[in-house]
Amino acid sequence: MSATLRLDALTKSFDGRANAVDAVSLTVEPGECLAILGPSGSGKSSVLRAIAGLDSPTSGRILVDGTDVAGVAPERRGMAMVFQRPLLFPHLSVLDNVAFAATVAGTPRGEAREDARQFLALVQLEGFGSRPVTALSGGQEQRVALARALAARPRVLLLDEPFSALDPELRADMHELLGQLRERLKPTVVMVTHDRDEAAIVADRVALLRTGRLLQHDTVERLYTRPASLDVARLMGGRIEVAGVVREGVHRSPLGSIEAPAGESWPEGESVLVVRHEAVHLASPPVPAPQGMTGVTAVVTARHARGPRAAIELAVGSATLAAEVPASRPLTIGQEVAAHIPRSACTVVTPVPG
Amino acid sequence: MARSGARAVGTTITALDRQAAGVSPRGSRRWSSIALVAPAVLIALFVVGGGIGFSLVQSLGLLPLVGEASLSLDAYLANGDDLVRGIGLSLAIATASTALSCIIGLTAALVITQGRSTGRLVAGLSAFTIPIPHLVGAASVGLLLSDAGIIPRILGIPGTEWPDIVGGSWWIAVVLEYTWKESAFVALVVAGVLASRVARYDETAALLGASRARRLRHVVIPLARPAVIVSAIIIFVYTLGSYEVAWLLGRPYPEPLPVLAFRLFTSITLTARPEAAAVAVVTTLISLAVVALGMAALRRTPLWK
Repeated sequence: MSATLRLDALTKSFDGRANAVDAVSLTVEPGECLAILGPSGSGKSSVLRAIAGLDSPTSGRILVDGTDVAGVAPERRGMAMVFQRPLLFPHLSVLDNVAFAATVAGTPRGEAREDARQFLALVQLEGFGSRPVTALSGGQEQRVALARALAARPRVLLLDEPFSALDPELRADMHELLGQLRERLKPTVVMVTHDRDEAAIVADRVALLRTGRLLQHDTVERLYTRPASLDVARLMGGRIEVAGVVREGVHRSPLGSIEAPAGESWPEGESVLVVRHEAVHLASPPVPAPQGMTGVTAVVTARHARGPRAAIELAVGSATLAAEVPASRPLTIGQEVAAHIPRSACTVVTPVPG
Repeated sequence: MARSGARAVGTTITALDRQAAGVSPRGSRRWSSIALVAPAVLIALFVVGGGIGFSLVQSLGLLPLVGEASLSLDAYLANGDDLVRGIGLSLAIATASTALSCIIGLTAALVITQGRSTGRLVAGLSAFTIPIPHLVGAASVGLLLSDAGIIPRILGIPGTEWPDIVGGSWWIAVVLEYTWKESAFVALVVAGVLASRVARYDETAALLGASRARRLRHVVIPLARPAVIVSAIIIFVYTLGSYEVAWLLGRPYPEPLPVLAFRLFTSITLTARPEAAAVAVVTTLISLAVVALGMAALRRTPLWK
């Protein structure tokens, strides 16, 4: 169930239009869960369909355990896929859906069903086997789809936004279930999602795609704290961008001088400092910045309710900052605060030309 | 019709008003839906029920053209041998036509749903076939395939050596004509059902390791089954009761049920009218039995919900 998957300059274009997938290269280690993250139209589903063999790439290679799978039909690739819609076969019972892969592989019916029962138990649906698929709720349907895919013992399990049609509570349950399944079966998983939080919860590493190009392939934490470009920072929901110049490893801007984190060096020249708004601490003005933090005096310019949190916008001279505080904290527009920015949370990226 | 429709709509509005005023909504909704379908049901009942009822009464000797009315089964027994032979022949023609239409139509539907250019061609041909009347189809088959037809002439085969396709003992031309037209019907009905759902299920099944043949057997055909059964019922009942094709392309004897019924009905012997009604009643009973069997088969498919 755990194969290595490698994409080598995978490119896909439709009818001569701009490439939907543009020279994407990455490796997924055995047992790893990779999330392909991107806005709609970024080509993430095209990557998945190419891996599955449902579409053939325009150029580039797909290697499973080092073997090129070009020209191998989907049914021979050993990849199972769970789609956004469960697509359970309506003419089969729940159990026979899960037993489908074994049945079409020629396993005797009793044996196939026994095996399917174990996978139903794995997705916590013991005893649901004899039901028709129409008697299931949305969450249960997706669990059965997951069990059916796993029962096929895929070399790589492909998930195409499988939980995006479920309500938040069910999604959380499914994320937990997927975590448990990964622990028990250690499958190699490639999951497509447009949800940053889902990618962060489920995946070990994330490949961030935009307009078919791979912007960054990294751990979730590094995508947030060390984005490779301004695009990445923005797609990951970063709200702080402070233009300045790096000289002798120090970024100078209206925020003052901020040194590169220990062990890192920043390239010289014009650059944009990015830092997660979640990392910015707000204190009352006289409080000095603790060790390892840069302190600036800022003025609250806007406050937006975000349920239990409040998003705060701040002005520091000509620069703007953002921060998040508990909704109960009484910060008002025009109030002066001390903003503390941890050095370790800072990084610089090249400014967008023009 | 239009006036009764307007009245039905009026009833619905009244029903909705009453619903708003707090009258049991379920009861009034039921009445309003009955009122809405009533005009269509009444007309259908008048034509179908009246027709069958009249035939039944006439076949039992209660409505003779001449003579005294008396309850008897004479009309059913008068042409006993012809009736039995007719039943056998009609069942055989209908079964062969239905089976061939379903096989060819299902295959065509699969080609159509593949979405390639051949699929569009087949869909176009099927759509073109539907509006051509059976009578025109039968005449064309006769002109093409009889021993003096166009095809033996083009091929330069003398009529004496040409097989008895038209008017032969195997009723091949009749079955061919039905199959030609009804397979187009099956193709379009089944393709319509498959088009909306089969592609995603097919992909899912492929990713679960099912080969093309396995997908056909385990996914596509089961998904198409209800539509095929419904089409089969319609085709069987139609071919069992259809007159003109069998009359044009068949042989004079033995006669299929509708040909027998029509001959007796137009017979100069006035006493033959109840006999014609008896044949019609038998045809109707067989049709109803086939519909019942078909519906039972349909109810057994898990998709029929």
